[in-house]
Amino acid sequence: MLPLLEFEDISKEYNRFLGSRPVVALEHFSLQVETGEIFGFLGPNGAGKTTAIHLAMGFMRSTRGHGRMLGKPFGDARARSRVGFLAENVALYHRPAEQLVRFYGALNNLKGRVLKNRAREVLEAVGLDQEARRNVARFSRGMQRVGLAQALVNDPELLILDEPTSALDPIARVKIRSLLLSIRSAGKTVFLSSHLLSEVEMVCDRVAMLNKGKLVKLGKTSELLQSGQETEIVARGITATCFPAAVETDGVVRFTVPVAQQKFALERVWELGGEVVSVNPVRRSLEQICLEVTGQQPEKSALGVGG
Amino acid sequence: MRHIALIAINFFREQRWPILVLMSWVFLLSVLGLVVDLRKASDDVLFIFKQGVGYGILFTIFFGASAIHNERKTRRILAVLSKSVGRGQYISGLITGIMFAAAIYSFAMGVTGTWVLGASGFPAEHLWLLMLCVMLVCLLCASLSVLFSTFLNPLFATMATGIVLGLPAVAALQFRSRWAEVVPAYSLIEPLMKASSGSNEPVRGPLLMLALGEAVFFWVCAFWIFERRDIAVAVD
Repeated sequence: MLPLLEFEDISKEYNRFLGSRPVVALEHFSLQVETGEIFGFLGPNGAGKTTAIHLAMGFMRSTRGHGRMLGKPFGDARARSRVGFLAENVALYHRPAEQLVRFYGALNNLKGRVLKNRAREVLEAVGLDQEARRNVARFSRGMQRVGLAQALVNDPELLILDEPTSALDPIARVKIRSLLLSIRSAGKTVFLSSHLLSEVEMVCDRVAMLNKGKLVKLGKTSELLQSGQETEIVARGITATCFPAAVETDGVVRFTVPVAQQKFALERVWELGGEVVSVNPVRRSLEQICLEVTGQQPEKSALGVGG
Repeated sequence: MRHIALIAINFFREQRWPILVLMSWVFLLSVLGLVVDLRKASDDVLFIFKQGVGYGILFTIFFGASAIHNERKTRRILAVLSKSVGRGQYISGLITGIMFAAAIYSFAMGVTGTWVLGASGFPAEHLWLLMLCVMLVCLLCASLSVLFSTFLNPLFATMATGIVLGLPAVAALQFRSRWAEVVPAYSLIEPLMKASSGSNEPVRGPLLMLALGEAVFFWVCAFWIFERRDIAVAVD
């Protein structure tokens, strides 16, 4: 099966004024997004995430390389009719929410009753059905949700979201998260760029991390989160002083050891007359991985990971 | 066509306040028609009419020169172009929207002018022929200013449009040169500007065709350039 979204060795340079050196936003960037997955697209500010998305949407042209979206070259207007897009800091025309969603739906070839019904459905899905007649200019933070509604109005096969929940309250965030999961279960694909790593952890099947225009990490979320290097041991009947950096709570001692020392640590617990409650591989957070791949090592205590 | 119409109507809606301000000229002309003795003050009323038409053309240039910039600056262009809308359709929608505004204004000026100027003996047929010229000049201005706005900011796009349309006017006024007809905006508007209650200059048909052809040419150039522009980068 053809990938739904494909970047093939793409580079993008922004020319500066009066011939000074161009800014490299993306460098030999290749990526494939498959059908039916929620794909997380991560990286620090200026990593090139938005540039990649804008290239896919045809808002700009790559300096080198090429890509395809739904089997068509980037920028193909017909392919965009099957795509939903929400820009970071979305800006929309100031008019009632339902009218606005219908305008964008009409631009995607929907008409008549189908358009009317679909506009109502998506406003309900994003929790704005009660405010359908309210002008979006009067929404404090609802613009993002109307933006999501306009992205969903054509029932897209591929939904591209650039920071969709950054301006939302926790309740709205939960709603959007369950909406994304329901979109995936309907066989659709979501390409999600976000700084909210905890959210990405919760919903994304695969993630790619970008740093300074280069792809630095790509893989299944579950596999990336397993460190494979450390194990957390929980034991009873020993004291925390027996192991370095062990923590004792309610008679239960927790500590982390490298995988190579796991056997030795378990034998030591038994030698001390203790009982092993559990042995689990340490799960890292995407935040930690992100900091690692961008070359910024966090303080362990700040992350609350490890022993 | 539907996409073009949607973008045009949306443009008109977004520009409704400046268009309403422009319509105050029609209102002013109507008030003059009611309070002034039109037979005695016919030249004064004609002068006001000419001014109104001139402002309409200027507004067309301002609309065209700032349309793309405003949409990019507010980032609203992203949501529109993320739909099944081609760049050519977008440019065509903007020009159609500007022309929609120009047509409504010209029609309102034409109707009011027929009443007000007609009362002072100005022939209605000639007035509507002049309004057709005004519409073509607006089309020329709109397509040229949109063309420049694809790669210049509004100030420079306005200046560039002014230069391209104004140089032939200078040639015509200073040297009576045939070069004035290269971009025939001035040549088309000249019969209106020189019109008086006593005499009317004829409108030359070939100039109408030339203006239409050039407008289409600028239109095509505008979307050829816009097709190749990055629209998601900062505009300032």
